[in-house]
Amino acid sequence: MAACIEIEQLSRSFDTAKRGTHLALSEISMAVEEGQFVAIVGPSGCGKSTLLYVVGGFVAPTTGRVRVVGKEVDGPGPDRGPVFQEFALFPWKTVLGNVSYGLIQRGVARREALARARALIELVHLDGYENFYPKELSGGMKQRVAIARTLAYGPRILLMDEPFGALDALTRTRLQNELLEIWERDRKTVMFVTHSVDEAVFLSDRVFVMSRSPGRIKCVIEIALPRPRRRTELLVNRRYQDYVVSIEREMDDPAEDIATHGG
Amino acid sequence: MAGDMQARIPSPPTSDLSGFGQLKATSLGKPRFARSEARALAARSLAPIPGLAPLLACLALLLAWDVAARLVAIDSLPSPWSVLNELPKLLSDREVLLNILDSLRRMATGFALAVLFSIPLGLSMGRSRLVAASCNPLMMVIYPVPKAALMPIIMLWLGVGEAAKILVIFLGVSLPVIYHSYQGARAVEEKMLWSAAAMGMEARTRLMRVVLPAALPEIMVGARTGLVLALITMVTSEMIARQSGIGNVLFNALDMAQYQPVYAAIVVIGMIGLLLDVAFEKLRGKLVSWAEPAFPIIAGST
Repeated sequence: MAACIEIEQLSRSFDTAKRGTHLALSEISMAVEEGQFVAIVGPSGCGKSTLLYVVGGFVAPTTGRVRVVGKEVDGPGPDRGPVFQEFALFPWKTVLGNVSYGLIQRGVARREALARARALIELVHLDGYENFYPKELSGGMKQRVAIARTLAYGPRILLMDEPFGALDALTRTRLQNELLEIWERDRKTVMFVTHSVDEAVFLSDRVFVMSRSPGRIKCVIEIALPRPRRRTELLVNRRYQDYVVSIEREMDDPAEDIATHGG
Repeated sequence: MAGDMQARIPSPPTSDLSGFGQLKATSLGKPRFARSEARALAARSLAPIPGLAPLLACLALLLAWDVAARLVAIDSLPSPWSVLNELPKLLSDREVLLNILDSLRRMATGFALAVLFSIPLGLSMGRSRLVAASCNPLMMVIYPVPKAALMPIIMLWLGVGEAAKILVIFLGVSLPVIYHSYQGARAVEEKMLWSAAAMGMEARTRLMRVVLPAALPEIMVGARTGLVLALITMVTSEMIARQSGIGNVLFNALDMAQYQPVYAAIVVIGMIGLLLDVAFEKLRGKLVSWAEPAFPIIAGST
């Protein structure tokens, strides 16, 4: 399989008013293969979201580069579909309007766009809510709309930035299961940022663990658990538990805390 | 809290119509359910007669005016009833109606031009640091200047005709609309724009398709302020460059010491303002209902 996302020597620094230049990402190199589900975990402030934004083309790298299917990223594009923790729905559009927007924007005929949007709304179990506005929906429903809206324009890669971070535990579990079901259908490449280790292990094929100040990749762990996965089955699976524990140990390095707060 | 306090203080007897059903309910000794019941009661007693509360307020104002007019007893403060009598006379005068139409036309022109100019400018300022940095200082200088004070200068450039008045109205309306468009555009969630960019939307298209609708509730706040300012600058400009318009009617009557028409003209201006505001709120409700809270929020409810 060819690498779908290649990241080479990527660094990103930000100029802050108080403390000068802050290095958010330092010389990150990684590759994600086509059709793989990878998770990026790390403590808050390790730059995992920034990494995702650079791949999305929303934030430019300071040095290094990102290639998607061999082509260097120089801005956002419909081959990479983002899903944000904040949902970022268009509040003036209905559920149907939100989901069909990307298609209409890309020149798909209105009737065709609406039909495809309706199918996706059904896929995320929101049929009956087509004419609701985002303000009338719960957090879980909003995120379902956001996922359908992104799937609508057929991105090759899904870039998910803590998508379930703002949801309650029950909704979160439900959406994790649904996301895997959707993913099993066409196996898109997914880059999934989260601070939840068990979410990362449950969903992905590989987990990249990041450390902070500056943000680096500390280690990569292959998750060799069979698919399709159900959360209730995995929770009692010994290997699943081992993965979770070993990753949490990696993240729970006291030396790192001292390095961050002491320095 | 307030309900408990009122329960202890002996409250004066009140009628249901006054909207103080709360006092009554608590004094009846049902403190536990008093507040919600009182709210329901107040709502029920006022609901069947819409517009009763503002009508009562108007009546109170007229009464106060009447008392004041009787006390001072001077020509320049006629009784409200004589002014109300004057109204049909004023509004059936063809000349006056043509003047009102002139006023409305120049007000609409100035307002429309200002909105068309200000929204794109404000939105660009909100999304581009360069545009904001170059326009902001200028705005801060122009904002506090009373636009009517510029009227004499503008009259030197453009004469006393329509153009000068429309320009003054334009200036008066522009600033609040620019300011609120700017604030609205600045507050647009970055990730909403990113989502649109990922769909393949170019920056210029995003400004019209994402920033504009997202900022619309805030823009409408500016436009509402602008509408009131349009009315004010319209009357003032007609006062300074007297040719036609309701301001012209008002000040001509004042010059001739015909006080009833003066007050009647003021009432007409007030009613124009009220009607425009009501119409505008209707339009606003239609355009940005998606931004209103999904559930009615009862302010101060515990």
